[in-house]
Amino acid sequence: MSFLPQAIVDALLLGGIYTLMVIGLSVSLGITRVINFVHGEAIMLGAYAAYWGLTLLKIDPLLALPIVALLGAVIGFLVFKGLIAPVLDAPQENQILLTFGLGLVLQNIALILWTGNERSSNPPYAFSSFDFDTVSIPGGRLIAVCAAIIMVVALFIWLKYGEWGRASRALAENRDAAILMGINVPFLYAFTFGLASALAAATGVICSFIFAITPFMGFDMLVKGFAIIILGGLGSIVGSVAGAFLLAFAETTVAYYVPSGNGWAEAVAFVVMFITLIIRPRGIVGQVTGQ
Amino acid sequence: MATQLIRGGSILLALAFVGLTLISYPSINDLAFRVAMLIIVATSWNIMANAGLVSLGHSAFWGVGAYVGLLTANTGMPLGVSITFGFLAGGLLGILLAIATARLRGFFFAICTLGLSEGLRVVALMLPNITGGAVGLFLAQEARPPLKLIFLLGSIGAILAVAIAIVLSRLPFHYACRAMRNQERAAQMLGVDPRIYRARVMALAGALAGAAGSLNAMYGGYIDPSIAFTLRVTIESQIAPILGGLYTIAGPVLGSGVIVLLAEWTRLAFGANEGLSQLIFGGILVFAILFMPLGIVGVWTKARARRRRDSSMVRGGDPPDAKPRRAGA
Amino acid sequence: MYGRLAILAAAGFVQGTLIAHAQDTIKIGVALELSGRFVSFGSYCKDGVEFASELYGNTTVAGKRVEFIYRDLQSDAQTTVTAFTELLSTQGINYVIGPTASPIAAAAIGPWRQTKPIWLVPGASTTTMETEVGAEPTFFHTYPYAYHYHETLSAALRHYLGEGKRVAVVYVDDAYGRTHLPLVKEYFTKAGFEIVAEEVMRANSPDLNPVLSKIRSARPDILIGLVQSTDAVTLAKQVHTRNMKIPYLVGAASTQHREWQDAVGEAQEGWIGLGTYLPHLVNWPANPEYPKIFMSTSEWERLFEARFKREPNYDDIMCYTNAGQLLIALEKAGGDNKDKVAEELAKLDTMSPFGPTKFTKTRGGTRNQAFSSMLVFQRHQNKNILLYPLSVAKDATLYQAPR
Repeated sequence: MSFLPQAIVDALLLGGIYTLMVIGLSVSLGITRVINFVHGEAIMLGAYAAYWGLTLLKIDPLLALPIVALLGAVIGFLVFKGLIAPVLDAPQENQILLTFGLGLVLQNIALILWTGNERSSNPPYAFSSFDFDTVSIPGGRLIAVCAAIIMVVALFIWLKYGEWGRASRALAENRDAAILMGINVPFLYAFTFGLASALAAATGVICSFIFAITPFMGFDMLVKGFAIIILGGLGSIVGSVAGAFLLAFAETTVAYYVPSGNGWAEAVAFVVMFITLIIRPRGIVGQVTGQ
Repeated sequence: MATQLIRGGSILLALAFVGLTLISYPSINDLAFRVAMLIIVATSWNIMANAGLVSLGHSAFWGVGAYVGLLTANTGMPLGVSITFGFLAGGLLGILLAIATARLRGFFFAICTLGLSEGLRVVALMLPNITGGAVGLFLAQEARPPLKLIFLLGSIGAILAVAIAIVLSRLPFHYACRAMRNQERAAQMLGVDPRIYRARVMALAGALAGAAGSLNAMYGGYIDPSIAFTLRVTIESQIAPILGGLYTIAGPVLGSGVIVLLAEWTRLAFGANEGLSQLIFGGILVFAILFMPLGIVGVWTKARARRRRDSSMVRGGDPPDAKPRRAGA
Repeated sequence: MYGRLAILAAAGFVQGTLIAHAQDTIKIGVALELSGRFVSFGSYCKDGVEFASELYGNTTVAGKRVEFIYRDLQSDAQTTVTAFTELLSTQGINYVIGPTASPIAAAAIGPWRQTKPIWLVPGASTTTMETEVGAEPTFFHTYPYAYHYHETLSAALRHYLGEGKRVAVVYVDDAYGRTHLPLVKEYFTKAGFEIVAEEVMRANSPDLNPVLSKIRSARPDILIGLVQSTDAVTLAKQVHTRNMKIPYLVGAASTQHREWQDAVGEAQEGWIGLGTYLPHLVNWPANPEYPKIFMSTSEWERLFEARFKREPNYDDIMCYTNAGQLLIALEKAGGDNKDKVAEELAKLDTMSPFGPTKFTKTRGGTRNQAFSSMLVFQRHQNKNILLYPLSVAKDATLYQAPR
């Protein structure tokens, strides 16, 4: 069909966005094994930070990104130490509800402070696009894909070669052995959570100029993030990326070629998730089944 | 003696609950109804959790019950039939879910339930000819049951749900579920077939939640996909048992009462400020999880144990009527 | 321990629902979405009502003090049922203003029927409201229905563009989009336009590109977006980025919102919209009979901006006017007599900052409909240019969208 080149481009770009959404969640789920319902709110806060940075301080979102990410890391670290560490060994329901309650609190603080009005940051590149004969590539989304690639590659290198990265992998594999090896497990947990928050905040910064932001944007992203992680496999960064792109392709295909496709696109995520769980719960590249 | 007091008190409370519906005080009736509905779904969630199945999408059963119930009522069927259909629909969904997730546990199972709930919401949106789609579905005027009847059914439903939970806790079924919760593979070795138990648990839990959903739909008179598959039911059906006391029988009941009253109070006291009421709700949730992990029942049990210990320390020796605690109470 | 908790809960509950059967207060319930997804509509409406109660001050209506009781519906159906039940049955309130959002208003119908108070609904454009309660004598709808939107819009566009133009529609799969779509098709086809594409999109969709590609291939002249809030922002931004080459972009009701304009920045240029009120564009004269509450529009805007430090929008002025109408009707009826007030309200034909307050019947069956006329405008260089009705749009030109 004549849509094909554009469809491929759209799917790739969407995959980039999904990768961003998922990478922080993958880190926190894969390493700390905390069922983290606050991730969506972390993205939301990052987005607002970028928005206010642009509106009040006239700082370009991409320039503000490292600062916002660092802020996210610090706050994530503290939140983990203070609120989440106590329920690390509690039943899963407690973790879910704690992080959910925390998400609710953050959402409403944002609502009270900044009202429910939708916002979006509009740096000049938000509206740029590269137009060819048959395809049009929006600039903002291209930046998102590049950022996603950079983050994934950096994360990969850190996990493989960085001191703490390797320690995190050890921790994910076998917590008791990690303790025996002298790794400071409580600190590492908090650190990893901080890292996940930083990634989420960075995602938020990028999302701020691609679509609209409201205090409620976190939850949908979270649900989709979970679906992607299941598809890709818990505990695997490669898996999450693969899952993100796979889902993006599935959704874009449905949106283009199924009548009323965009209406069904959301259901695609869940259908895919169900199928994965039934046929191959480990996910595409998953290493551990969890329980 | 304390146990008998609790039992007597519970029966009185149950009677009072039903009695409330006879008083014509709409605000109290409405509140009592909401508590009753929450008791049913909270108990339903608790039954599943007791077997190790954490449901993050309980609104799936609720929503299915709501739609089936409303659609049935609109065709002219009497109230009892509509509720029964909602009950059956919920149960059927439970069985289907059990079959689909036969090999899944823990987090994966939980996410599956979340997906179920969201997926059903999208389905309801995309099939407007059946469900009315995004525009929603009204209960036909002629089909509107009298409010008193709805309230009465609500209270009775809540008591029935708790009664079912009590009966379950006395059957071997209960021990099989607990064994499954702790270690499903070990339970299998002991002869418990997890698939059958899962199916039974989910069918029962789904049916209860479905019935509650359809009754609630009759009361409200209007649903749309976001109302029927609302996140609120999912959240509250979890908070209530956890706040009240996970895996206990009194837990869901206590938790439901606290949750509904708390929500009302924060809304009335702070409602004029946007977002403040929900903020407080979330904050209390965080607080409860951090400082009251065993729920209200847990706090009370600890206090009782402490009192016994203190009294025995004073008198020197065990108190005369110290009995071993019953499992599941 | 939980004995204390129970007492605390009971005390709080009782405090909130005490029946103040004070015979010297007339209570007006204001049930709005003050949190949740419809908070932007509800909170502006609340400002409007608050403003009215402040200006009306401590004077009494027919010897009794008037008290506005605000309730947050939390944009949730169950809460709406509870809140309405409490207001109507416990507090015995006879007058309710709100809610504004269609699904919330629909959810309120059930409890409303318990006592059928006077119900001013400043919103809810969905025609299901009309079908369900339109014929009721105490139901007063003070905002246009969906068909009013498209009646006006199609007439305006036809005036400027003539017949035969091609129209593409994007709509969100929610009550708003689903209600408006068939009406768009009906009225625009009647006005001589050709509907060449209709695409559904999911609410909060992150990627509209597939939808936009399909629309672009149909080569329409006009794009109508039946979208709200975040989706309207995403749509505008992606359309602008994409170089759709569609000369006329119509955003229906979302274009007038300040938030949308700020959020999309330069992408708003050329978007056409419609609304019941635009600040500083139409000036209704002061009402000589009720100068204190129904001053001229420009005077009202001045006072409002001084008080709230922001530009007013249609929710503010609409709810302000509704509150004013209710107060006047109460005075004319001589007190807290629901039927008489309903009569007076239905008869009330006077000038307000929002326009003439006359209630008439609609073709769809609503007995009491007011404020159904709409203004069509275009965003040009960050200002609103009035296009229609022609009586207020002085020699306007219709611009094309830049991309």
